Amino acid sequence: MTTASTLTPISKPFIAEPSDLILVTGAGGFIGAAVVEALLDLGFTNLRCFVRATASASKLRRRLSQHSRGVNVEIMQGNLLSPADCARASAGVSVVYHLAAGRGEKSYPDAFLNSVVTTRNLLEALVSTGFLRRFVNVSSFSVYSNRGSRDTTLDESCPMESHPELRGEAYTFAKVNQDKLVLEYANTYGVPYVLVRPGHVYGPGNLPMSGRVGIDTFGRFLHFGGPNPIPLTYLNNCADAIVLAGLHPLADNEVFNVVDDDIPTSRQFLRQYKHSVRPFKSIYVPHAIAYLFCWCWELFSDWSDRELPPVFNRRRWHAFWKKTRYSNLRLKTRLGWTQRVSTAEGLRRYFDACRAENLNA
Amino acid sequence: MLKVAIIGCGKIADAHAEQIGRLPGCRIVGVCDREPLMARQLYERFPVEACFSDVRELLENGRPDVVHITSSPESHYGLAVICLEAGCHVYIEKPFTLCELDARRLIELAASRGLQLTAGHDDQFSHVARRMRHLVQQGYLGGTPVHMESFYCYEMSQSTYATALLSDPSHWVRSLPGKLLHNIISHGIARIAEFLTTDNPSVIVHGHISPRLRSIGEEDIIDELRVIISECDQTTAYFTFSSQMRPALHQFRIYGPSNGLILDQDQETLIRLPGKKAKSYLETFVTPLSLAKQYSANVATNVRTFLKRDFQMKSGMKCLIERFYASIAENGDPPISYREIVLTARIMDAIFAQLTALKVDSVKTGDPDASPESPRANLCIAGD
Ligand SMILES: NC(=O)c1ccc[n+]([C@@H]2O[C@H](COP(=O)([O-])OP(=O)(O)OC[C@H]3O[C@@H](n4cnc5c(N)ncnc54)[C@H](OP(=O)(O)O)[C@@H]3O)[C@@H](O)[C@H]2O)c1
Repeated sequence: MTTASTLTPISKPFIAEPSDLILVTGAGGFIGAAVVEALLDLGFTNLRCFVRATASASKLRRRLSQHSRGVNVEIMQGNLLSPADCARASAGVSVVYHLAAGRGEKSYPDAFLNSVVTTRNLLEALVSTGFLRRFVNVSSFSVYSNRGSRDTTLDESCPMESHPELRGEAYTFAKVNQDKLVLEYANTYGVPYVLVRPGHVYGPGNLPMSGRVGIDTFGRFLHFGGPNPIPLTYLNNCADAIVLAGLHPLADNEVFNVVDDDIPTSRQFLRQYKHSVRPFKSIYVPHAIAYLFCWCWELFSDWSDRELPPVFNRRRWHAFWKKTRYSNLRLKTRLGWTQRVSTAEGLRRYFDACRAENLNA
Repeated sequence: MLKVAIIGCGKIADAHAEQIGRLPGCRIVGVCDREPLMARQLYERFPVEACFSDVRELLENGRPDVVHITSSPESHYGLAVICLEAGCHVYIEKPFTLCELDARRLIELAASRGLQLTAGHDDQFSHVARRMRHLVQQGYLGGTPVHMESFYCYEMSQSTYATALLSDPSHWVRSLPGKLLHNIISHGIARIAEFLTTDNPSVIVHGHISPRLRSIGEEDIIDELRVIISECDQTTAYFTFSSQMRPALHQFRIYGPSNGLILDQDQETLIRLPGKKAKSYLETFVTPLSLAKQYSANVATNVRTFLKRDFQMKSGMKCLIERFYASIAENGDPPISYREIVLTARIMDAIFAQLTALKVDSVKTGDPDASPESPRANLCIAGD
């Protein structure tokens, strides 16, 4: 199956020349590495890949070895919590893809530190360089509140979570504040930005099932998603969208949601998963019951002075388990994005990787 | 109304803000972090009156009675001095200070100003730890402890903090004298220190980097530690820290001349081990049955506490804070004796000194596996 990029570089008038210096933070991460490869595929020859961990640096170096001819790929190791490292990373860059974030952090301060403080440090360093043409902030669907009407289509016009601290997820709190900070820098210093908000990015390298399908916290898998579409985007499709958002002349100061076409419903996804990876028992929890469960949990958490942390609550239900449709219209019409890897193929690769991991476990 | 402030707005500050919020008669007048964004995020999520990025501003504007220092360990001493000099009582997160000398200095400074100090050994105030202390005080052991075993394990794979530490060669934990151990083991050591009867126990240490950590290129972080602590011909203790053993225990066992006790922090269970055995063959039936009964009783106690809404993850911290504030109000004894704080620091100093000596040894001999088998590493360092 071919995975050739649908981004045909030469014909498109991008805001950066192939030799302009491009910075990718979180370049050793799941999506970051794919963004670097997409940029190289597109003919960009001057990249600075910022990674934190030594292991990520070596992994990325190995992965990029086949691209090394005629390109200048600098792998810079550092920590965005250090202003000095941010200054090193920012020197001379014209486009920044900012993917580094505290993903998977359970504590609010840790998630905040690695998503918001890091972003502030980077922006501070960038505003003083004077070269910056675009700052691509990789955000997430989790910043949306989705608490409006009963049957919603989630698109870029939807409001952000107004009280992310009440969502029970450190990640959401951090990402909402990260987006706000970028907007603040755009207003105050005129930083040219794009906010890219992917749904659940899947593919080999990120195997855990999306929480939108359900949870296995209580020993038996509780299937909350049911007929809901799951906002999946395959790794390379998402990387293409992020790359385009950084280069397209019409993307400035815009928000783009990233989700693939033909996404499966939660039920279809779960059925395929059980069939392709491993069979297991699950209990379907209808939407109304899931809502009630979240509400009761929230009430008990309040009543008991947080004996149970408020990880299930009504805000989370709205964002995760309410029936919602997703739109990628803006991505397609404004940026001309098309899906490189079909959903069927993406799922096949994903399930293959899950099965391999399952066998190794 | 007691006015409280928090300095250092990282992960543990969340627990402090939450537990302080559960207590009547106090309010958080300010939180402070060198990084203004961190101070702000705590301020936004909890009922806090103001946030600051400068300690002196916090002290001047908030005028707190008590300050909780929850910043990174190397800053504890300096910040505590500033707070004590400003006339505040101070709660310092573990590890109290980086060394025994600093601990002593702080205690002297507090005493000279009529102020109170406590260390964040909150595990010792969990429900189960209090039940254990009560039994020991009532003489259940039948005399001075003969032997203790303290397990304090750490699952690296479960912790994003450990991931950050392992992936970052310049992580602040690496600059602590005892590195990862310095930031973690004081809970397990303090449990032993509480029941030691003399002030100069000898300490023998074995530490190594686990094969798992070595396999990912880690050469600095010791994650397997075994310690033997002994008081000349009296009480002895083993301390185990492990990132690899499973289950990852947080357990304390204490044996006296008559009976013993096993406390499991994770399960919140306390099991009595009667010294007297059942007759002959009966031991195989009666004792397991009695253990089953005890475990059931522990479940019932936990359920009751849960229903009474006092079974939060950090309810030990709430109790410690409550007792600390009470000791301030009544000018009574602090909840953790200063002797115990100093002894914990002393044992930790001895551990890290030996680990450093071990490292020097292995560098000199070029043998990364140089272990306490070598006479030098086996040297028993008295804790004075
Ligand atoms: N995966 C998804 O489904 C998804 C969905 C929506 C949005 N996103 C967003 O996409 C971006 C990338 O996500 P991902 O899935 O690729 O996550 P990831 O694999 O965890 O990558 C994030 C990277 O950030 C780096 N990082 C964290 N803290 C840092 C710091 N203080 N200094 C420097 N680097 C730091 C980490 O570097 P080291 O590995 O070197 O430590 C890590 O590689 C994130 O902003 C995330 O919020 C992801």
